[in-house]
Amino acid sequence: MTTSVESGPGGPALAPSGGIEVRGITKRFPGVVANSDVNLTIRPGTVHALIGENGAGKSTLMKILYGVQKPDEGTIAVDGREVHFSSPTDAIKVGIGMVFQHFMLADNLTVLENVVLGAEHLYGIGGNARVQIKAISADYGFGLDPDVLVEELGVGQRQRVEILKVLYRGARTIVLDEPTAVLVPQEVDALFANLRELRASGHTILFISHKLDEVLAIADDITVMRRGKTVGEADPATATKHQLAELMVGSELPDPETEESTVTTTPMLTMRDVGLTDAAGRDLLTGIDLTIHRGEVLGIAGVEGNGQAELVETIMGMRRPTGGMIDVGGANVTRWTTRRRRKLGIGFIPEDRHRHGLLLDAPLWENRILGHQTSRQLNWRGVIRRRAAKKDTRRIVEQYDVRTPTINTHARALSGGNQQKLIVGREMSGDPVLLIAAHPTRGVDVGAQGAIWNHIKTARREGLAVLLISADLDELIGLSDRIQVILRGEMVGEFDPDRVTPQELGAAMTGGKGGEQ
Amino acid sequence: MRSTALLRKIAQVVVAPLIALAIALLVTSLVVVLAGNSVSVFFDVMLTPPSQRIWVNIINQTAMLFLAGMAAAIAFRMNLFNIGIEGQYTLASYSGALVAGMALFPGTLNILAALVVAMAVGAAWAAIAGVLKVTRGVSEVISTIMLNSIAITLVGWLLNTYGDQYGQGRRTTPIPESSQLLGLGFGFFDTSTGGVFALASLAVIVGVGFALVINRSRFGFDLRATGGNEAAAIASGVRVKKMIVISMLLSGGVAGLIWMPDLFGGADYYGTPFQSGLGFTGLAVALLGRNRPLGVAFGALLFAWLSVQANPLGLKADISPSVVQITQGVVVLVVVVVYEVVRRWGAAAEQRALRSTLETAPAGGQA
Amino acid sequence: MRTVGKIAAFAAVASLALAGCATEDSNGDGGDDAAAEGTGACTAPDGDIQVGLAYDVGGRGDQSFNDSAYAGLDKAVKEFGITATEGEAADGEAESAREERLRTMADSGMNPIVGVGFAYSESVNVVSDEYPDTCFAVIDGFDPDETGNGNVAYLGFAEEQGSYLVGVAAALETKTDTVGFVGGVHNDLIKKFEAGYTAGVQSVNPDIEVLVQYIEESDVAGFGDPAGGKEAAAAEFDQGADVVYHAAGASGSGVFEAATEADAWAIGVDSDQYLTAPKNQKPHILTSMLKRVDVATYDMIKSVVDGEPLASYQVYDLSADGVGYSTSGGFVKKYVEQLDEAKGAITNGEVEVPTAPAE
Repeated sequence: MTTSVESGPGGPALAPSGGIEVRGITKRFPGVVANSDVNLTIRPGTVHALIGENGAGKSTLMKILYGVQKPDEGTIAVDGREVHFSSPTDAIKVGIGMVFQHFMLADNLTVLENVVLGAEHLYGIGGNARVQIKAISADYGFGLDPDVLVEELGVGQRQRVEILKVLYRGARTIVLDEPTAVLVPQEVDALFANLRELRASGHTILFISHKLDEVLAIADDITVMRRGKTVGEADPATATKHQLAELMVGSELPDPETEESTVTTTPMLTMRDVGLTDAAGRDLLTGIDLTIHRGEVLGIAGVEGNGQAELVETIMGMRRPTGGMIDVGGANVTRWTTRRRRKLGIGFIPEDRHRHGLLLDAPLWENRILGHQTSRQLNWRGVIRRRAAKKDTRRIVEQYDVRTPTINTHARALSGGNQQKLIVGREMSGDPVLLIAAHPTRGVDVGAQGAIWNHIKTARREGLAVLLISADLDELIGLSDRIQVILRGEMVGEFDPDRVTPQELGAAMTGGKGGEQ
Repeated sequence: MRSTALLRKIAQVVVAPLIALAIALLVTSLVVVLAGNSVSVFFDVMLTPPSQRIWVNIINQTAMLFLAGMAAAIAFRMNLFNIGIEGQYTLASYSGALVAGMALFPGTLNILAALVVAMAVGAAWAAIAGVLKVTRGVSEVISTIMLNSIAITLVGWLLNTYGDQYGQGRRTTPIPESSQLLGLGFGFFDTSTGGVFALASLAVIVGVGFALVINRSRFGFDLRATGGNEAAAIASGVRVKKMIVISMLLSGGVAGLIWMPDLFGGADYYGTPFQSGLGFTGLAVALLGRNRPLGVAFGALLFAWLSVQANPLGLKADISPSVVQITQGVVVLVVVVVYEVVRRWGAAAEQRALRSTLETAPAGGQA
Repeated sequence: MRTVGKIAAFAAVASLALAGCATEDSNGDGGDDAAAEGTGACTAPDGDIQVGLAYDVGGRGDQSFNDSAYAGLDKAVKEFGITATEGEAADGEAESAREERLRTMADSGMNPIVGVGFAYSESVNVVSDEYPDTCFAVIDGFDPDETGNGNVAYLGFAEEQGSYLVGVAAALETKTDTVGFVGGVHNDLIKKFEAGYTAGVQSVNPDIEVLVQYIEESDVAGFGDPAGGKEAAAAEFDQGADVVYHAAGASGSGVFEAATEADAWAIGVDSDQYLTAPKNQKPHILTSMLKRVDVATYDMIKSVVDGEPLASYQVYDLSADGVGYSTSGGFVKKYVEQLDEAKGAITNGEVEVPTAPAE
């Protein structure tokens, strides 16, 4: 990294290029118009933020820009020349590179191998390629060693490998899809430093996000999308978070803040020294100790993949702990089946609603039964009470504002937010005593988010104990009475949400005072 | 709203199979022409109104194919592929016939005993695959195929070793006359050559039972949930391993009944009259009927019609009756595709309906 | 002049091994007491004769059983100027389908009706009662119940006798004093072939070892599995056998391949397989055991044409030329003397060929 090499592909100090002009893009899917007359001007050499809620059409536009999908109408011009893409290869040819939210890297290959894979024709696979990679890494301060295995890299470093990949292929415009979703605050700062380097060297960056703080911190221009349309532009120098939010949703932002504490001294969930190993004997959870009281919300903070899913599944009985004790409301449930535990009154909002929370090809009223098959309300001596299930589904649809034509609609047809509202409504039914909520508002619109928060707050007042897992630190800090931090399957610290800052939490989540692990 | 939903349902249930049948007949016609035969004669023979006697054969075949289809459907609804129905019902038919031939009990009791034994043997044989899957992770597709070979070889060995000598072959001891059930005519069918098998009623019982258990019971809900989304079922408290074993037991138990109507209604023993292949055809019938009892009944009737009506093809048109196996094969292939197309069309229609609901709904933050 | 060995159609005899009875009762001639047997024999039609031939699965074109039946039919059609209709079985068909096929034939006035293959025994038993005036025949068939059927002829073969002769040929040819047998399916019928063959081999030299392999225990797939046939034969060649006799239907082609590769001998079955074998295999086919399904089929039709329909058990044995061996290729020419001697010993009753292998 010490050798200085002559400028790599698109090295520093070139004239800014890669500006994009999108005019009148419309894209229809059966039954849905995903993009409708979208207009976007990205000036060369700038960071342009595209913001909007989930489902606002950002991903579709992104796919069109990258040649994955073809627009039904409209034009795209790069540096003033109109372009037509029939595949991502065409996009990369005119210098548009894409960094996806989910990395596409082979863990068991080195950085060099990952970068060169599929682009062998550029600089070969040997010394030349290594020189190029080192040059790019040095130019933009990536600090990547080409010969390290990807599996040894942290999340932030992997993201830089992805960016390096597109630069290596000669990209002048880099599209980043929700790049900060997987990062802790310190890593976000590092990413932004890299992006500024890239901008300084004349690259153009399209930054897709819904996190307004970050957008204001990095963007030169902001375009807002709502319901498939570009609804406005904003200048980050003058715009406020509040204005942007209103543009995004057209309504007020709800507040996760809870009021006075309702914490009691009656423990509802107690875990003592719970451990879990996988089939290969590796530790997934180690020595988990936690207690949640009636009327208390315990927040679990942590970078995704540090044992949250395993913790939830162990509490729900979907995994058998290899040691320790789990107690729910005075009953030792350590060896109980999932069904028996659920009968105690445990509500469960799973992290992945499609995978764990819904029967997508079943009607809503059947989804109401899922997880509550044994409830007295829904079954009589092994016979499903269809009428009661349908009636209660109507109640949920009304109370939780689930937007659906009928309760016979298949769950698949609903939008993500409405699916989530149905799940929350279902899990809050039958007066649960304990709620395990993983990312309860992920992917729902702002209005529904507020409603879900209110339902949780109300239930908490009435004595519900909640285990809350969320990647949204604002939600976590706002709703929780206490926050514990999980790192590599261990509880590594406890914070008072009234005093902690997102930066402090971020540091604890990565196991240090800051920066990369 | 209601009427379009109904229309969609009708399309899915009726139109899709009809399209598939039409395409299949087209392909078959093409094969008939290419083989140098007359299509019109082919259709003439296939569409000749069946005589009473032929109707009896069609109904009997339908009943047995329906049982085979139900056996497959139970597993299919759980996303289990019980390819082993063939072996299960072969072994079960032999066992049932063996027990019935022993005449341990008088008359009807003897029949009941044989039915219980056949179901138990079919269930046990299927359960081997279920247990291997939950304890060792062996794919049931592989294990049931293997178990088919084992079952067929085992039955052959048992028959050759312990069976009664009988011409150039072997058979089990014929069931006593008191356990032979006369065919039913319902005052309509000609029973002189044997009427409708009395135990064809098993098909009705199994069909109704299947509908009730799958659609109305908690067990059925658990089963469908597991088939629809295994991970969600686990999260909801379903013990999937237990369900796998239970549904294999049920599937194999029903498979054990497949040939019983014939055994007590005409064959009287296990030997050359045993009809093989019903297990495999049952898989096709279940696919055709989308694993719903009424659909499977329709599929069984169609397949029975095709094979029974094709019988005189060789005599009347010099066409091999095996040609309808092409029809049957193509029907299944096409129907899978058509169902998927109709399903997507239905899903898109549902999304449209959803959007129109939302647009008329009060303004909100719907993204 | 062909003669037909006969036995009486007593119900009790039905369960006895066919050939055992045949050698006892065979008197070399008996074609004229057909009418005396059974109860109420069928009547040969007065006018035009229409023959119905119902094949087993596979139908015409199997180069074996069904084709042989067709050859007999064809000969009769040409010779007597009659008409014929053929029907074919479908895979995995129900017993009722076979019955229906026979009824359709009887309804349209066909007479005689010949079921080709053992599997027709029961359906003929049922349908022959419904059409007492129609003449039926089942090749390899038998009467499954205790009520006699006067209008049915069961055309059986003494396969063990033919197998005995090719066994003699194998014993004379072997240099290693080891010969082999490959059966398609381990059932009673194929065991007959094995028993006769072994007896023939050991009549020449009791010290010759006979290696026995079956492709399948019970699955009829053993008759259509050339790879399995090849594997079984190759194993026997590896163990020192230099002549292998197969009774394995279409699996036999694998046996021929193995013999060609081992540069050894194979013996065919049912028809003269030298004639249908590929050129490179011909020098390795010593002889074939002939089972004259064509003869039986022709005889049945002829008997109806002559107005004296065959009925009851008809055994096509050596003396009736119902079984034998082929000489195509000329490889057994040098043994003709010994073979004729063996044949004579069987036909005059000196030698009784077993129908089941020694336990």
